[in-house]
Amino acid sequence: MCEEKDLLVSYLYDDLGDADRARFERHLRGCTDCRDELTALRGVRADLTSWAPPASELGFRIVRDPKVVELKPRGASPETGRGANWRAWYTPAAGLAAAAVLVLAAASAIAHVEIHRGPDGLTVRTGWNTVAAQTTASLPAPVAPALREASVTAAPAADAATLAAIEARLRALEASHDSSVRAASMLSARSSDQELLRRMRDLVTVSEAKQTGELALRVSQMNREFDAQHAADMQKIQSIFARVNASVDADATMHREWASYMLSNSTKQK
Amino acid sequence: MASTDEELVARSRGGDLDSFNQLVVRWERPIYALAYRTIGREEDARDVAQETFLRAFRALKGFKGEAKFSSWLYRIALNLCRDWVRRERRQPVAQAPEGVDLVELASEQTPSETIEDLVARNEISAAVARAMATLPEEQRTAILLKEYHGLTFQEIADMLDCPLSTVKTRLYQGLTVLRRQLDREGVGKARW
Repeated sequence: MCEEKDLLVSYLYDDLGDADRARFERHLRGCTDCRDELTALRGVRADLTSWAPPASELGFRIVRDPKVVELKPRGASPETGRGANWRAWYTPAAGLAAAAVLVLAAASAIAHVEIHRGPDGLTVRTGWNTVAAQTTASLPAPVAPALREASVTAAPAADAATLAAIEARLRALEASHDSSVRAASMLSARSSDQELLRRMRDLVTVSEAKQTGELALRVSQMNREFDAQHAADMQKIQSIFARVNASVDADATMHREWASYMLSNSTKQK
Repeated sequence: MASTDEELVARSRGGDLDSFNQLVVRWERPIYALAYRTIGREEDARDVAQETFLRAFRALKGFKGEAKFSSWLYRIALNLCRDWVRRERRQPVAQAPEGVDLVELASEQTPSETIEDLVARNEISAAVARAMATLPEEQRTAILLKEYHGLTFQEIADMLDCPLSTVKTRLYQGLTVLRRQLDREGVGKARW
């Protein structure tokens, strides 16, 4: 076995001066072992070139932080940490949109913002001034019947009876008032101060009763309007929540499909 | 005209972060490749490469420029690889593909290469990875630095703190073992 291994390695890597190269080439001409070994080792070197590391996403960069110095993949925000991958920066935009709609719906319910899309385009109305009848008329067709029904049921049968009784009582009082006034005018010439005072007291009583009846009527009407408005608002909120739920479900489905697609791609690449 | 490593290092030492990041861009692939061929795991190799630059950045003030910047990086990376092997208490892993993905292979195909050539190259690559994993660390490191990173014998000797003749001996011994291993797998004989 030849002992010129040191020279053989240097020759293999072309790392010899001219003199040493000439000397080793003279040796090679007479040494079959070294010639064969040189050929074999050149073959090994050729084989080594086929070994390449897998292509990997690197893109490191140093990011200076006032408190911490860390390496981040290029394109990452400074807040993301080591080992973070694309998933860490993935922004669930659809989810955020759904959340935004939810917030808008809640805010609309609180501020009583009406957003109505009709043949005239998009209408936005704010405030609590609209009456139930107007609200009902401006709602989309599927919602309106339900609201009308709600308006009707908001005035129970007992209230109707009360109203009728109050109305009858008012008419009776008005009739009584008219007759009292007429009687007073006929008796005025011969009535004493005491009689006049008594009749005045009666008139005040009749007036108070009439005002009380009107007040009850108005309170009852306000109750009906309030109930109708409440029912309309609840319908609207439920409708918005239904749309938000549908949107969230669609987004969740899309995310699942996307994750499945990425997983299958990842499995293929492996 | 691109700045040299020395110029970028000088600017980095002066606090220029962009200059250091240019060095990172320039050397991240070779460092990752060295780590991968040393420990054989892509994810861990990436972590080692990342940690190499982080350590280099932190130690930049202490880098006097006596060795090349790349040699200094290689040394840091090799130390980290050694730590990884020690920590994991295992030999480097030869990640040989279990099957041949023709679609993936086709993307690596050169215009003059047939798909048969491509498959053969893939098999040789796997055989080389397995053979390299059997080498002692000193021989494997010497071969990696010489074959894949083109360091001179003297640079390797300086990096590994050993005589020049030792480097050549390790290379010769390592190549001889590889030759036997590849012959055993039928790779070498197929070539010659």
